[in-house]
Amino acid sequence: MVHALRRAGQRLPAGGSLISIRPHRTWRPVVSIITPSRRVPVAQLINSAFDSRLAAAEAALARVVEEGRFTLAGIRNHRYRARLDNLSQLRTYLELISPPRPRFPAGRRAQLLELWSSQPRGSQIEIVESLVVTALRRR
Amino acid sequence: MAPPLDISAYPPDGMEVRLIERFTTLKGRRILEVGCGDGRLTFQYARTAAQVLAFDPDRASIEEALDQQAMLDIRNIAFRLGSVEHLPARGAPFDVALFSWSL
Repeated sequence: MVHALRRAGQRLPAGGSLISIRPHRTWRPVVSIITPSRRVPVAQLINSAFDSRLAAAEAALARVVEEGRFTLAGIRNHRYRARLDNLSQLRTYLELISPPRPRFPAGRRAQLLELWSSQPRGSQIEIVESLVVTALRRR
Repeated sequence: MAPPLDISAYPPDGMEVRLIERFTTLKGRRILEVGCGDGRLTFQYARTAAQVLAFDPDRASIEEALDQQAMLDIRNIAFRLGSVEHLPARGAPFDVALFSWSL
């Protein structure tokens, strides 16, 4: 990725902005069941194959700053959520994510199925995702 | 008939643009977008940008973006198949380079 950042930087004038939006590396997606009266966290999804890419992206951004091509203008972390009506929608949600896709830790999917089967009508499945925006300024 | 499902693992429309604009405006700017996919984010800001050059290495995504562009009749976006490494080092400058979910 560092080559891509350098190449983009070559086409930015001094003061130009480079913005990276990507999933947050350590704030993992959290799956919960939402009933009319409470939230029941079930699992943090894991994606070890993707984690290494996120770490590489962070390293590449740090590298072009160290090289003196850019200065760090700021970082923003942000969470957003999706509410799903049933397990079928959860399956669709996960399938829509480009590979490598996140997965449930061992035993947690079964726990979700079990909890879901006993929830009152009108309950939902919530996924809280996180992103990070890094802004660099061309020197 | 059941309504179509609106399920996406991406943030709601507008959220990413609002976050970007805490650092820089996109209005009237020349924008290079790397990893544009099917143009999901591109179409959210392109109408107010001056020009957009958007890359993605996935052919199906670029074809989908082009179809959508024709449907929306947005003319200031050039979608390109490929990666930013193939962008010539010299050429017209951009004001903003946006790496959107591309790693």
